[in-house]
Amino acid sequence: MTGKKALLISMLILAGMCVLPLGLGIYPQHVLIVSLFYVMMASSWNLLAGYTGQVSFGHAAMAGIGAYASGILAAKAGINPWIGICLGTVLAALIGLGLGALCLKMGGIYLSLTTLAFSQILHIIIVNEYDLTRGTMGLQVPSLMAEYDKLVYYYIMLAAAVLILSILYRMIHSNLGLNFRAVQNDELAAKSLGVRVLQVRVLAFTVASAMAGFAGGLYGHYLLLVTPEIPSLDLQFYVLAMTVIGGMGSFIGPIIGAFALNILAEKIRDYGEYHVLVFGLIALVVARFAPNGLLGLWKKFKPIKPIQAVKQKAFPTP
Amino acid sequence: MALLEGRKISKSFGGVQALSQVDFAVDPGTIVALIGPNGAGKTTLFNAVAGAFKPSSGRVVFDGRDITGQPADTVCRLGMARTFQVTRPFAAMTCLENIMVAAINRYPQKPRSFIEGFAREKLSLVGLADMERLEARHLNVVQKKRLEMARALGTDPKLLMLDEVLGGLNTQEIHQAVEFIRNLRDKLKLTVLWIEHVMGAVMQAAERVIVLDQGKVLMVGTPHEVVNDPRVIQAYLGE
Repeated sequence: MTGKKALLISMLILAGMCVLPLGLGIYPQHVLIVSLFYVMMASSWNLLAGYTGQVSFGHAAMAGIGAYASGILAAKAGINPWIGICLGTVLAALIGLGLGALCLKMGGIYLSLTTLAFSQILHIIIVNEYDLTRGTMGLQVPSLMAEYDKLVYYYIMLAAAVLILSILYRMIHSNLGLNFRAVQNDELAAKSLGVRVLQVRVLAFTVASAMAGFAGGLYGHYLLLVTPEIPSLDLQFYVLAMTVIGGMGSFIGPIIGAFALNILAEKIRDYGEYHVLVFGLIALVVARFAPNGLLGLWKKFKPIKPIQAVKQKAFPTP
Repeated sequence: MALLEGRKISKSFGGVQALSQVDFAVDPGTIVALIGPNGAGKTTLFNAVAGAFKPSSGRVVFDGRDITGQPADTVCRLGMARTFQVTRPFAAMTCLENIMVAAINRYPQKPRSFIEGFAREKLSLVGLADMERLEARHLNVVQKKRLEMARALGTDPKLLMLDEVLGGLNTQEIHQAVEFIRNLRDKLKLTVLWIEHVMGAVMQAAERVIVLDQGKVLMVGTPHEVVNDPRVIQAYLGE
């Protein structure tokens, strides 16, 4: 797809997204707002897992850091939520930088385990620091606007998602994106070609963490209640499932996955806790039969131009 | 002055002495072959020189600079590019993107159009121009080896280090490959250090040959001197 065509299509989708909630009731609007939060989460997690091969389990924790930082500042110190969200984003970026640097030399499963441990530690701290966080009760936080309006929240979340997605898009299509993918494909080969592997990995970690912190901050001020549910493993695996099911390592995959799964989650809410089981099954089936996700499935059945076998000399003369 | 010089390079893995006191030099503009029986330490020497790991002792001097123990990416940016014996393409990236990765780290300031043109040029050098939009995992072994050479060239190196790029080729193809590498050297003003098992190719292409055996330099000489040396024959064939 050429750049112009892609731009046109995304503009059309964006226009559609702008008018979409107008005719809808409060509940579907809520579902869309939450979906947009997950779009930001899944797309930024995809930068880590899909583009640089760092399967972090600390992404929900970063959202939690953003949400609690901004929430505590607003609730306890009366700081404007917008400033709080910015500070929360910076804090998540700094913690991401620290955690990324700590995991520098670790690859694969070690990175996953360290980030898993980090997210559990954070969870325990939040639950136990009752005075600051109100523990499992949740912290009541102020709204982003004087008069609470779902539609305005929708447009704020949409603008935020567009911002995050355009930053991601630009990164992925820049030199940095090539380096990201090279590192994911083969770290050793990338290093031998002059890629600063450690720098690239830490950068991805920092950027993704900042994005999660930003999304988390907005989400908290939308829900008006910040609970340990945000930095939880449930939410983490939810984001993971969305990315995998949508199509890891592609730009559009996580967006599709976030909408598909979140809307599905609302549909199967009646089954209570069993809806997690349904997700697990879907993720399993997708991983087995469509390892590149829904997007990969679509690409698979789209006819591609066959490449002709060209008979040629083993090595041409330069 | 030599472009690349190894001074008393040793490397041991646990109790195994893979390299001991290896001295060698590669003069600018030459094609130097590195040969030796299996397990002689050829690839280990490559790794120690190109920064895949630190030598246990000894020094590596490249282009007048001590690069001992420098990481592979730094060494690459100084102008040393290598291929791997078992190819390591970026499987899920297109052939062109594979080379672009090399080019953007060599020329980070250049615009994308320059990078693409530069990468395309290297791809057509090795005869893979038709494959530029194909993901590298679809290539066959011989094509992967060529892609790897193009990728190394994408870093615009002074020294090209090839690790067995002729595997899987027939006699006629080997002859073409030798021509190719010689032409490449002349055209791009390269220096080539080349690990190769195919003796015919070494005889045709190399100006100097370094023979390694059991982690030590057995001898250095012209191809003709080397193949007629009883020590070399013994190292390969035994008593």
